[in-house]
Amino acid sequence: MSEQRVTRRQFLSYTIMGVGGFMAVASVMPMLRMAVDPVLQVEAGGDFIATTVKVDELTNEPTRVDFQFEQEDGWYTSNVTQTAWVYKDDKGEIIALSPVCKHLGCTVNWNSNKDHPNQFFCPCHKGLYEKDGTNVPGTPPRGPLDRYKYKVKDGVLYLSRRASAVRGA
Amino acid sequence: MRWTAQDFSTFTLSKEYIDTVLIPMVPISFDERGKDAASGSEFIQMIAIEIERQFKGRILLLPSFVYFLNFSDQDKKMLLTKWHHELTKKSFKHLFFISSDQSWKSIVEQLKGELIWIPSIPLEHLDGTNKMAIIDNQVKQLLNFFVEKWQAAEDVNA
Repeated sequence: MSEQRVTRRQFLSYTIMGVGGFMAVASVMPMLRMAVDPVLQVEAGGDFIATTVKVDELTNEPTRVDFQFEQEDGWYTSNVTQTAWVYKDDKGEIIALSPVCKHLGCTVNWNSNKDHPNQFFCPCHKGLYEKDGTNVPGTPPRGPLDRYKYKVKDGVLYLSRRASAVRGA
Repeated sequence: MRWTAQDFSTFTLSKEYIDTVLIPMVPISFDERGKDAASGSEFIQMIAIEIERQFKGRILLLPSFVYFLNFSDQDKKMLLTKWHHELTKKSFKHLFFISSDQSWKSIVEQLKGELIWIPSIPLEHLDGTNKMAIIDNQVKQLLNFFVEKWQAAEDVNA
């Protein structure tokens, strides 16, 4: 028999330390997990969506580019189709404009109205935009068309999911 | 605009711009015509949603006008008259019903309303891209129809 006797006091303090420690770990662990969560998260393909358009195919004439992605809303997953008018400006920069009219949200089209060639035309209330998306004064829209952010990877055009507003473009 | 709280707020703020209502007509039946009815409903609703997307700022897309295929013509007429009456009371200048059921034609005509009649295309065996291409194609033709109607009304006023 071992001579080391555990006193009542020691036994109690070990037990309390053990149980207390266990409880402390149990409460701290989830917090730690949450703190490092962003690091552990797998990057879900980024915020850019691949289009079917190759960058070399783009000209200085705006062309319609449709791209699709899945969007989760609660537990409902839906397919979202976005449209962009894409062209290269004089400096060769790619411009990807949102077709959503800044007035009330109709879809604008390039060069669709005979009276207003080489402009974006909104069929709802006759809003007009220049090629770079600037709204033509005197027509209903109050601001320029939104723009998508873009990336080029292996010659393919990638666009952001949402277009964002431009100021004084 | 759609029949949502958010769009309704926009609608109340910009009433003068939103002068057109679009109502998809959706049939229900549980007999042998059921499948065609369902397929037609699906098709019409997809078309209506796409039209709304194109003309969001001028068209208010209402929830569907739902009816049973075994309603008599009289019932149908009575129902539609009530809808028509309520909607024309408000400031809407253009009222369009959209359906793939031909039996509405004469009823809508009697009410002096506009019926867009499109024969339904079964979409159940098509995948997403083909479905979209078909809907897109149909909608493209309808867009001009709307623009022409609006233009015609403006020409009368001018």
